[in-house]
Amino acid sequence: MTLLQTSRRNFIKATLTGAGSLSLAISLPGCQSLHTHKLQDDGAWEANAWLEITPANQLIFTLDRVEMGQGTYTGLTTLIAEELDTRPEDFEVRFAPADTAYRNKDYGLQLTGGSNSLSSSWQALRETGALAKLLLIRAASEVMQVPEQHLKIETKHVVHIASNKKLSFGSLAAVAAKQAIPSTIPLKSKADFKYIGKQSQRLDNRVKVTGTAQYGIDIDIPGMRYAVVSRAPFFGAELNSDNRGEVETLSGVERVFQIQSGIAIVAQSYWQARKAQEQLKLEWSFPENAPQTIDDVFKLYRKAAAQDKGDTKRSEGDIAKALDGAAKIVESEFTTPFLAHATMEPMNCTAHVQADKVDIWTSTQAPDVAAVAVAKVTDIDLSDIHIHNQFIGGGFGRRLSQDFVSEAAEISAKAGGVIKLIWSREEDTQHDLYRPASLHKLKVALDENNLPSGWDHQIVAPNIMDWYIWDASPAMFPWSPKFMYSTLGKVGLMTAGTPITPADTSAYEGADDIPYSIPSIDVRHTKADAGIPVSYWRSVGHSHTAFAVESMISELAEHAQMDEFQFRRQYLQADPRALAVLEKVAEIGRWGKTGNTDSFQGIAVHKSFGSYAAELVELQIEDGEIILLKVFCAIDCGLVVNPDIVKMQMESCIIFGATAALYGEITLENGKVKQGNFHDYPIMRMNQTPEIEVYIMDNDEPATGVGEPGLPPLAPAIASALYQASGKRFRHLPFRLA
Amino acid sequence: MKFKINGTEKEINLDADTPLLWVIRDELGLKGTKFGCGAGLCGACTVQLNGTAIRSCITPVSSIEGQEILTIESLAKDEQTLHPLQENWIKFNVPQCGYCQSGQLMAASALLKQNPEPSDADIDNAMSGNICRCGTYPRIKSAIKQTANDLMAAAEK
Repeated sequence: MTLLQTSRRNFIKATLTGAGSLSLAISLPGCQSLHTHKLQDDGAWEANAWLEITPANQLIFTLDRVEMGQGTYTGLTTLIAEELDTRPEDFEVRFAPADTAYRNKDYGLQLTGGSNSLSSSWQALRETGALAKLLLIRAASEVMQVPEQHLKIETKHVVHIASNKKLSFGSLAAVAAKQAIPSTIPLKSKADFKYIGKQSQRLDNRVKVTGTAQYGIDIDIPGMRYAVVSRAPFFGAELNSDNRGEVETLSGVERVFQIQSGIAIVAQSYWQARKAQEQLKLEWSFPENAPQTIDDVFKLYRKAAAQDKGDTKRSEGDIAKALDGAAKIVESEFTTPFLAHATMEPMNCTAHVQADKVDIWTSTQAPDVAAVAVAKVTDIDLSDIHIHNQFIGGGFGRRLSQDFVSEAAEISAKAGGVIKLIWSREEDTQHDLYRPASLHKLKVALDENNLPSGWDHQIVAPNIMDWYIWDASPAMFPWSPKFMYSTLGKVGLMTAGTPITPADTSAYEGADDIPYSIPSIDVRHTKADAGIPVSYWRSVGHSHTAFAVESMISELAEHAQMDEFQFRRQYLQADPRALAVLEKVAEIGRWGKTGNTDSFQGIAVHKSFGSYAAELVELQIEDGEIILLKVFCAIDCGLVVNPDIVKMQMESCIIFGATAALYGEITLENGKVKQGNFHDYPIMRMNQTPEIEVYIMDNDEPATGVGEPGLPPLAPAIASALYQASGKRFRHLPFRLA
Repeated sequence: MKFKINGTEKEINLDADTPLLWVIRDELGLKGTKFGCGAGLCGACTVQLNGTAIRSCITPVSSIEGQEILTIESLAKDEQTLHPLQENWIKFNVPQCGYCQSGQLMAASALLKQNPEPSDADIDNAMSGNICRCGTYPRIKSAIKQTANDLMAAAEK
């Protein structure tokens, strides 16, 4: 066995498997345990391979980040393909099982979120590809008895240039695995890239246009039965009584029983389970102090804001002095609502709990957290819980939470056999973990020239980690016994911000690092939690902080009697990348020149997940409705791997952001979520979609995220255009004209 | 009861009110047609009934007795020959998560059967019942227009 120590203090192992394949696997020092790397009986190393080259000349790439539309399937394959000089199309991509080897290094968990799949894999995957190439060339040199420099790679073969003699990768696998490995490995320079920056086709297109891509909901296991669950209609409600005995006698129904989240019905078909559910009568008790309406939530937030000035997240200059000495103080308050994720594929999971193991087939953004969720509701240890991940019909953060996996496992454990649990759209909307509602209080000191001298920003919102840590913390310590799980959750919360657990920045990210050069800046977070489940939602905190910050900047420009684009330029001099995208979007969107007296422009810029995005919106108000005509976007995400995927993600973020800005709102009625399906939780449709033009900045900065950064600037850009159109400031999402 | 699906006669024996969607997916094992909302609001379950796009999640199986259903599995002629819409879906890199695309393609192919030269407004009308949460609409529109052009050009030859 040979090792390459890579620059990120990882090791890549090159080994020969029992089946004769060359296997390249990553190894994280200090995280190894017997459970992650099993020695097979024949002594072959069963590694958690990233890349396997089989004797039959298959190139199997195990994708350790999930594919939910954002393009990892193509993007990460392109990285390994580039260094191996092989077309990305020539790889067979498989989804990774739950295993510490596949953890996201930035989180210590195997989760896909935070738009960092590419940046966190950039170096290690290229090194893996480069190492494979080096070993194959050395092997061919040994077999053919020719110098390495006389060899090249061509379509999964090593070719002797002079004689055109070829050996397939697969035929070289065994010899390659025995080669010595250098301590460092050279990577290609940008000028030599064949696929990075050029690969234009998505690798998952064909399966997705023929209906053959397999999502969690498509799993079919012989003998499988179907389950539905009726959950508490109020957050924290207790079940008082039910008529489960009656429902159990209905056609096709096998069993009706209680699980942690509600009453489960197991039937022979999905439709029988659903029909039986209509006959289920449940009485719940309303929990004390729970919010009945959204007004109750904001009352709680305002009370918190008044009582607690919040934890300081940024403090520069002297804000008290700036406010005291101000010629004028301007104050504005912004609110954003709870939002559901509304993935097209409703939550679902197929579980088979047996005496000694569990199999789970689902679409999840966090396979290792899913395994913890299963361990908690069964007697099975993590090492015997097998997560078979599938294509994901939309994630946006929803599938970081594993409530649906926990339910399916609990039902299978109680009912026995293979159980497929499918949520209805209404259940999906009403039992989501929501993007938190937030309240932003901004107070800005203006000097005698009406220019900002002090920026005071108080954000009131819950901490998402308070909700997420309970499953996530044990996943970080998979060797810990189950009775420790709740302790680990508490430890996780106590150690947030230390090397053990990342800090929870979800409430204020994007507000604490504003790029504007204002002499005094004070940003604080006041934690307030209404007891409504919350989670990560596309662009997380940035989805509301950018709205408050950029809207305030627009107001400050007006106080300064300046054009808001020019105002931003003046205050962005210290941040050239933010300035560059802003100037670019103003150029392509022809800022100040709509050419149509009925249409109005708005502009905003925001950095998130390492990337800079500026957007310019052109809209009209027609018959009391907001009509988005055009959205221009300039994105700087560093070095680009797949330009068209970057463009797709910007289009996606803009349409997702427009849905939130124009329609998105989860409200409560008597403590229950009011919205249920797409008629009252609308999603933007084709006839409402603006024209979109995306410009990708060209530079050599490290590759950063694209799955989320296009979203945050959209709402404030729309707000700024609405102000131009109506003379009214729109400080609450979603925008309502009346 | 009997009906034809993708050219094959099928006989099934299920509750009359069972939505066609679950018959297609769970009885006949054709998983390309997707469940999205169960209320005819999102179009993920779109199939064709005698060539017209319908929402299979709200179509009771009893109502299609003796009729002909086409699903996404019938769109490509064979493994090698995709439908021109599928070719253009690939060319324009339409799919992201991909979950709604079977329904989008079945709605688009029904549109082109009835209207080989759709205007932008015609496309909006025909396609606005199909939600895509990833926001692939601009590319869907381009792919439909390109396909219409390709088919017209081929017909003129």
